Amino acid sequence: MQSKLTRLGHWLQRRAENVAVTLLCVMFATFIVQIFARYVLNKPVGWSEEVIITTWLWTVLWGAAFILRESEEIRFDIIYSAVSERTRRVFTVLTGIALVVLYGISLPAAYQYVSFMKVERSAYLRIPINWLYCVFIIFSVACICRYCWLSYRAIKGAKPPETDPARLPE
Amino acid sequence: MTMPSPFTLCIVAIVALGALGLPIGHSMIAASILYLLLSGLDLGTAAEQILNGLFNSYVLLAIPLFILAADLMNVGSLTDRLLQFCLVLVGRFRGGLGHVNVVANMIFAGMSGSAIADAVGIGRIIIGMMTKDGRYPVAYAGAITASAAIIGPIIPPSIPMVLYALISDTSIGYLFLGGFVPGIMLGIAFMVTNATIARRRNYPVEPPIPAREIPRITMRAFPALMLPVILLFGIYGGVMTPTEGAAAAAFYALFASTVLYRAVTWRQLYDALLTSGKATTSIGMLIAGAMVFNYVVTIENIPASLASMMSGQAFSPLMFLLAVNVILLVLGCLLEGSTILLVVVPIFIPTAKALGIDLVHFGVVVVVNIMIGLLTPPYGLLLFVLANMTKQPLGAIVREALPFILMSILVLAIITVVPDSILWLPRLWGYKG
Repeated sequence: MQSKLTRLGHWLQRRAENVAVTLLCVMFATFIVQIFARYVLNKPVGWSEEVIITTWLWTVLWGAAFILRESEEIRFDIIYSAVSERTRRVFTVLTGIALVVLYGISLPAAYQYVSFMKVERSAYLRIPINWLYCVFIIFSVACICRYCWLSYRAIKGAKPPETDPARLPE
Repeated sequence: MTMPSPFTLCIVAIVALGALGLPIGHSMIAASILYLLLSGLDLGTAAEQILNGLFNSYVLLAIPLFILAADLMNVGSLTDRLLQFCLVLVGRFRGGLGHVNVVANMIFAGMSGSAIADAVGIGRIIIGMMTKDGRYPVAYAGAITASAAIIGPIIPPSIPMVLYALISDTSIGYLFLGGFVPGIMLGIAFMVTNATIARRRNYPVEPPIPAREIPRITMRAFPALMLPVILLFGIYGGVMTPTEGAAAAAFYALFASTVLYRAVTWRQLYDALLTSGKATTSIGMLIAGAMVFNYVVTIENIPASLASMMSGQAFSPLMFLLAVNVILLVLGCLLEGSTILLVVVPIFIPTAKALGIDLVHFGVVVVVNIMIGLLTPPYGLLLFVLANMTKQPLGAIVREALPFILMSILVLAIITVVPDSILWLPRLWGYKG
């Protein structure tokens, strides 16, 4: 059962990565189209900037929700990496609870803001902004679940997340 | 006893959450939500600031593209060919591979905007070359690779400069131009250091490359060498915006490594995209956090009150610059560069403006300073990367990097005191500052 769940987790993780890579490809391809249209065809297209900026927004928030591993986050880990594993578990629980509570409290207001944005549409493609912005809700809910899970595991005595500054991007 | 103000509690929360190991981006978002809650403001503001901020900052798009360009160059064989070419240029001097390392980083700097990507891409190959048959000590090879990599984001293009442009409202184009001279100064300073150490320790000279080989090696490296040329002509010929330049660079890197060099498999391409996606995400989260936090700082009117306080004092611009440099160097030992740039630097900008300091000058000084922070222990990302790559203890790398760190601080002092060293090139291109 446990291994089935883990396998499902890995499978979902890979699909989430597929989504992020697709977003990046779309962004990149649209940029090429934009440059080609503006400088070669001399007919600038307006929709491209909107597609690009949307894929950027989604890449950041989608990625932060689903593809970034704990070891790949940018954090201040001088203290965290110097303390014992037990203390580190306490740290994980404390920060986890703080994040879950604060993100949880603000979730209804965030939802209200995003759904309110349905009154506006994007300039070129006329897409209601709440559709573009709904990724924030996905992000918030995913973070709350993730930190609940991390805190739960830390309480249960699982090894707290490792940090590996050498693998951080700049 | 009076209750501490919401802003004080917000700062306490950021420091506490960050110190306990929550990712910095999340710490800033969570603490800002706490601030909104305590001051009775709409909690949806956090979502609003992040979403509108990310959605309206088109210049930031240069970041994923420059990351992608560097990753694509690293999977393709562009890096290898470039190093062969540099061997022809400077291999025959004493400590030749050390010079190759610095020159390759200077050329590479003209294509990628990220020091970490440069260190990984070039280091992967040159450390093997340097340590084969024990020619150079491993720690020295690691130290010079780490040091030379800071040139990457100083010579354009540069991801930290894009971030600075965002927070200071200065032109990316002029900032990029301002980075040229300091970048070249650093390159020269590092080569002098390498030459001195090489003479004292009697490091080897590379066997000369036969003259008939030179055209072939140059031709092999030619497409890689063209990339900075295309990029810089595109941007400064007024053809493209820096963001589009970044897209063109990524496209060219893709084209060169797939079509010209045929060195990339689909799997590698997918992995390069995924790596870039992750790097984009983690820096994006930091930007998102900084957007909410800077909103809080603006409501509290912090930068403006600091500015009026500072200009009320008899504070000369030079003293201010030196003080900022010292503060940032100290912070650079403890914090990661983009955090300093996005959270601490915005607080100084209004004061710099009030004191009449040119913001392009200020920006380049700040970026050079923060890049040195990548080399200073205990928290220097480049040190971690190279210690990991060479399997050396951090202390050994730090010891060998020390002369290079001192030289870079010397360069920092010169460009701080002599603004013209940075500004003459942008002025040549019509910058009025």
